[in-house]
Amino acid sequence: MLIDPSNSHCQFIIGDSEPFFIRLYSLTVLLKSPHQELEDLIKKIKTRLILSPEAEEFLYSISKEKTLRKGEVLIRQGQVVKNTFFVSAGCLRSYCTDKNGKENTLLFAIKDWWISDYIAIHTDELATLTVECLTESKVIEFNAKELDGIHSLFPEFEPYQRHNLERHVVSLHRRILNQLQLSAADRYDLFLKQYPEIEQNTRNFHIASYLGITQQSLSRIRAEKVRK
Amino acid sequence: MKALQIVSYGEIKDSLVFNELSKPAVQSNDVLIEVKAAAINPIDKSIILGNLQGMLPIPLPSTSAYDVSGIVLEKGDGVSNFEIGDLVYSRVPQEQMGTLAEYVAVDSAAVSKKPGNISFEEAASIPLAGLTAFQSLEAAGIKKDDRVLIHAGSGGVGSLAIQYAKAQGAFVYTTTSTTNLAWVKALGADRVIDYKTEDYMSIAKDVDIVFDTLGQNYSLESFEVVKQGGIVISVVGPLDEASAKMLGMSDYKLPEALAKASSDRKADYKFILMHPNGAHLNEIKSLIEDEKIKPIIDKVYPFSESVEAFTHLATGRAKGKIVVKVS
Repeated sequence: MLIDPSNSHCQFIIGDSEPFFIRLYSLTVLLKSPHQELEDLIKKIKTRLILSPEAEEFLYSISKEKTLRKGEVLIRQGQVVKNTFFVSAGCLRSYCTDKNGKENTLLFAIKDWWISDYIAIHTDELATLTVECLTESKVIEFNAKELDGIHSLFPEFEPYQRHNLERHVVSLHRRILNQLQLSAADRYDLFLKQYPEIEQNTRNFHIASYLGITQQSLSRIRAEKVRK
Repeated sequence: MKALQIVSYGEIKDSLVFNELSKPAVQSNDVLIEVKAAAINPIDKSIILGNLQGMLPIPLPSTSAYDVSGIVLEKGDGVSNFEIGDLVYSRVPQEQMGTLAEYVAVDSAAVSKKPGNISFEEAASIPLAGLTAFQSLEAAGIKKDDRVLIHAGSGGVGSLAIQYAKAQGAFVYTTTSTTNLAWVKALGADRVIDYKTEDYMSIAKDVDIVFDTLGQNYSLESFEVVKQGGIVISVVGPLDEASAKMLGMSDYKLPEALAKASSDRKADYKFILMHPNGAHLNEIKSLIEDEKIKPIIDKVYPFSESVEAFTHLATGRAKGKIVVKVS
């Protein structure tokens, strides 16, 4: 699994190792169009490991760059999930709709983050989450299974993927503990500190649904912050 | 599928029956919605009582109600703006009436994604009343700092109209009875007039817009409170000539007293025929997500108690919308 090494909030889970079938990708490589975003990502990866030209070509063969409109949906709850996305620009969010039809935000993703529905990818279930663009965004779309299996073709990826997985577990544990231990006001403070760029790109209800509070509570917390 | 159908015109209890029907067929521009919730409106009651037979000829039996929220289950070949699994809400077009059913096929042009911050039941309560409020105040050309009188602020349309007018930056007068003063005030109205103890005509004077949701003598009285060059918008008063033409009455003339009041005051009179519109619902969705508009629900009934929901509607005592949770 790949991630920008400079990013401390990695968004990745590695699945169980699965049989991986080597495919012919040279044709795709020959036909490749300019991949500016992927070149940038590869540069970042190269600061962490030695990437063979074959591995680099493999990355080209399993990815596609996309420019997305605000509101566009990449993954839809209840459908099959095949892809994972690296964000080059913009802001996306993943959310789960409960049985009453209300949305609960799991994660936001901005530049250099990854986003997908890892539950669906690693359990072969239908999507639990919807992933949508909150702003116009640029992403690199990867075939999730092939990206997952990259270490069986190019073993140098393995420690790298493990490292990213560990960081993701850390980040998730923190999010769970914060949810259990901190007051809503403290959670909002932490959110502002950690992700100031996200606050600018999202609406109240996205943030409230990420923090697990009502919009009225969020307004109250904000009003109290102004008074302080 | 199970559906609540109108089998005859007359008393609610005698006219409504649960029937087993086949799933509706999906035309090229339709989406098939798995109904989660449906809301009922005064018009549904009037249809059952047979009061609208002249205006809205409906073949019997017909499934009741227009407001719906649910999940897109199928779509026609011509639908590109929705995908299977989308959560949506709609006021369905007349010819597709019948949201008190497990499934309803709806022209996608009348459908919008539902607001993400409210439940299916809350979303179902919005379309008909929300579109009426939105289209009426838009037709009045509402803008910031306009002074607007909205009659019956506690009604389904009035309560949404207050919130929409406030979102546009208007100054809102509204009328209601003593028992509803507090919650109507909480909707954001600047001056809530208790019609039982106060004379609204001496308080709301020279307003830019009157939104008449009561009809009868209120339509005419509107011209005593609207300013010169202002506008009276009605959804229940006499038809205006343009609306009458749309309904096929080409030789219709505005009632004389109303025409005279309008011309004496140099203020326009417009009757609004609410029309289903997905794009408008999408604008309302944004306002709901930004909490500029909140749904107001009186009571949610299970599908099996739909007839009781209508009986409750018929009392005219509901504060907010009556919703049926279908699945």
